[in-house]
Amino acid sequence: MIRLKGGRVFDPVHGIDGEVRDVYIEDGRIVATPGAEIRIEREYDVTGRVVMAGAIDLHTHIGGGKVNLARAMLPEDHRNTEVARTALTRSGSGHAALSTLTAGYRYAEMGYTSCFEPAILPVNARHAHMEMGDTPIVDKGGYAMLGSDDFLLRMMAGGASQKAINDYVAWTLHATQCIGIKVVNPGGINAFKFNARKLDLDEPAPHYRVTPRAIVTTLTRALHELGVPHPLHVHASNLGVPGNIETTLATMDAAEGRPIHLTHIQFHSYGTEGERKFSSGAARVAEAVDRQRNVSIDVGQIMFGQTVTASGDTMAQYRNSAHAQPNKWVCMDIECDAGCGVVPFRYRDSSFVNALQWAIGLELFLRMRDPWRVFLTTDHPNGAPFTSYPHLIRLLMDKSFRNEKLAAIHPDVAAHSELAGLDREYSLYEIAIMTRAGPARILGLDDRGHLGIGAAADLTVYRESADREAMFSTPEYVFKDGELVARDGRIVKVTRGATHVVRPEFDRSIEKSLKDYFSRYHTIAFDNFAIDADELIDCGSRTALEHPCGTRENA
Amino acid sequence: MSLPATGSHDAIPSTTLHSVACPFCGMLCDDLVVDVTAVPQVRANGCARSHALFSVLPKNDVTPQVDGKSTTLDQAIARAAEILTAAAQPVLLSAGTDVGGMRTLLELAERTGGVVDHVNSDAALRNLRVLQDTGWVSTTLTEVRNRCDLLIVAGSEVGTRFPRFFERCIENAESMFDGGKREIVFLGTPPAGFESKHAVSVMQVAPRQLGDVFAALRCLLARRKLRATEIAGVALPGLAELLARMQSARYGVLTWAAAELNFPHAELAIQSACELVQQLNEKSRFAVLPLAGNDGDLTTVQAATWQTGYPLRVSFGGGVPAFDPLHFRAERLIARSEADALLFVNAFDPDRTPPASGTPTILLGRPGMSSERATVFIPLATPGLHHAGHLFRADNVVAIRVRQIADSPWPSAATALRRILEALGARS
Repeated sequence: MIRLKGGRVFDPVHGIDGEVRDVYIEDGRIVATPGAEIRIEREYDVTGRVVMAGAIDLHTHIGGGKVNLARAMLPEDHRNTEVARTALTRSGSGHAALSTLTAGYRYAEMGYTSCFEPAILPVNARHAHMEMGDTPIVDKGGYAMLGSDDFLLRMMAGGASQKAINDYVAWTLHATQCIGIKVVNPGGINAFKFNARKLDLDEPAPHYRVTPRAIVTTLTRALHELGVPHPLHVHASNLGVPGNIETTLATMDAAEGRPIHLTHIQFHSYGTEGERKFSSGAARVAEAVDRQRNVSIDVGQIMFGQTVTASGDTMAQYRNSAHAQPNKWVCMDIECDAGCGVVPFRYRDSSFVNALQWAIGLELFLRMRDPWRVFLTTDHPNGAPFTSYPHLIRLLMDKSFRNEKLAAIHPDVAAHSELAGLDREYSLYEIAIMTRAGPARILGLDDRGHLGIGAAADLTVYRESADREAMFSTPEYVFKDGELVARDGRIVKVTRGATHVVRPEFDRSIEKSLKDYFSRYHTIAFDNFAIDADELIDCGSRTALEHPCGTRENA
Repeated sequence: MSLPATGSHDAIPSTTLHSVACPFCGMLCDDLVVDVTAVPQVRANGCARSHALFSVLPKNDVTPQVDGKSTTLDQAIARAAEILTAAAQPVLLSAGTDVGGMRTLLELAERTGGVVDHVNSDAALRNLRVLQDTGWVSTTLTEVRNRCDLLIVAGSEVGTRFPRFFERCIENAESMFDGGKREIVFLGTPPAGFESKHAVSVMQVAPRQLGDVFAALRCLLARRKLRATEIAGVALPGLAELLARMQSARYGVLTWAAAELNFPHAELAIQSACELVQQLNEKSRFAVLPLAGNDGDLTTVQAATWQTGYPLRVSFGGGVPAFDPLHFRAERLIARSEADALLFVNAFDPDRTPPASGTPTILLGRPGMSSERATVFIPLATPGLHHAGHLFRADNVVAIRVRQIADSPWPSAATALRRILEALGARS
């Protein structure tokens, strides 16, 4: 048994806000205070330290085809960032498109213990699971992309029943070993294959005449009816387009009151005011999210500097390809399933647009009253690499630091944003909600994100520091499933992570029409498409952690 | 379906299996029907290559060898580890293994400060260097099968290097969107005996002149004046007409096999093709399909990229991964005696043997391949025949799970390499 003695515990699930408590760990789990007869084998004196559950990143592009394209495309991203092997850890490289091994170590060193790859094309799921299998220590999970796949659009155009669509969604979750469903530019990736360059929420898509709104409504309903804990994870239409705030608010409505998660909402909160026809919609978006309790968001904060954008949204990525820096980019149509686009990008603080994007993201964080429904992300690597999270946390917790930065960027932003007037500073408790308790709840991870008895012993211990960036960069201790894996920002033990999955019940008769579709149109045999539990292990996962569907109370 | 459970090593009865994936070229066709007898026989949906390579006779008398003499697997592993331990710059060269084999090969290279390369890297890099300089708008096999209404084939070897490409992606009975009407344009020679239900036209262009053709098409697209009256033997009006067809295609596809484009600076021709297609997309849809994946080359590149950040060629000599497509070319390192050991892995095609090398050579290969150049020979099981595994398909997106359909007494590449790694001892 291990005791963490005397730390200040932040465990929002149990309303614990900095109380001094001992935490006990046995066999990878948090356990109750033992009787005097129980021997404590290892004690860590963490007096004065901050103790939280391991952090959870619910939206980070860490594995799969588009990430690997980004890596292969950008040797300059890796040069001078190479990491040597040690007796414990493997070598690797990368700033924005990190090698898998390096990404796993960095996440663990920063106190993260679970990461979710948000855009797994079903046909690329094997590849994604292999990359995640080579991402050590942290647990992983994935969201399978639907909504531009021809099978779903054929069903919807043909008037298939909601039940049949639910069966297809459930089959997809099983076949891809994923925990959720993502929709990216609903119908838009498909429409781009028909040469459409935009697709508004209520615009019938080419060929199928199905609207993005109908896709969002149908898929949110499917997940709700299947009892999948994580709501539909939505990358809305019109990403990056000035004025897209109207689409974003209307997309919330498309959920018809059912749970919906809008991801990297910063990229979807733009108005058209001002002489540059580009303005912040953060106030309206935050107000709408706060008001509608079925809606959750993650921000997708941008940071200044070089990164690479990797997205399933070929339509948006093609539109942005003119801004590629360095000037090279890829768009790919994939298997009548979806697509991907990779565009390297440098956010400049001297650019009005980029600087305002930075301010909009921060405004969203600071305006959201309910920290349980807003999650800390940079849409890694699209807004910035995940390694910038400690800096972002400092921006949220330290108003004078934030205003110093605001003063240093494009001078017009202060005039076009209300950021300077926002006095809020996030508390440690709120950070614990936003990076632990909240993501665990929205994903249905009942035994993660908190420190209650029986929870998995994923823990992070920070040294208090007024410099929150330093504090969150190098936790003193990180435990994964009860094992000390990192100390003072260095890996001390390498473990293999597990894979979070859901496997909702469904009517297998859907496989008949899938088999017919595959044999007529696909180049992969239906029999070879699905990933079974054994194969997931072969891909590199330690084990599948299956979360129940349908029985969970609505959060 | 009657496939055995993956990873099963139980005796498999003589039977007929459906939906079998073929590991022997980048198409990774997974609709084969295979009779599993002592020697597996492809009964349906095969090609010359799959027929030959599924049915390579298992040489039951093959054993591991050290210095040309039969020995035990343990002895061969130990000797391989000795050679790698003594080497300052070993070269680890693949001519075909799966993701599992490649993962372990990378770890072994890292431990030994080695250089990782694949025998097809010259070809793979013709595409990769364009990806690193320009990028592209690309597509995949199922998109081609359902959308392509104009296929342009650059070169003459797509059909021979990817035997069922036309059958599966162009001549398919049903498709969702193209209305069943397609045009095929060869910038080169169609495969021998090529027959199509679609309209076929042929422009005899030599591979070395493809770059000129793409450059001319780009000029015409940009409405620049060309002073030449013909390019690569094609009169200008013919090129203008081709461009017009490309512009009016609903979903055009331009494909090539980089391995065929074997001339100096072929990457510039590929770059020109990719830029042409990027520019066509300003108005209409068009995509490239750079075909590769034979001998597990894309598998090698994918795994190297995610583990190190770099595609091939990668060296661990400096303690960290380093990428240099020219300097770390295995053939060059061997020819200039910069390498002092060669480890060669090939689980697929017995005809692909290691290059002549003055260094000790560790050959992990398919039983039946010549081991005359090997200091150490370790027979390997083949992914897709003797064990399950993952391979990346010609279009670089789809990973296919190949399955075990027969037994082998020999280890997988991953297992053999892992054992060598464990035998390296205390070397840091």
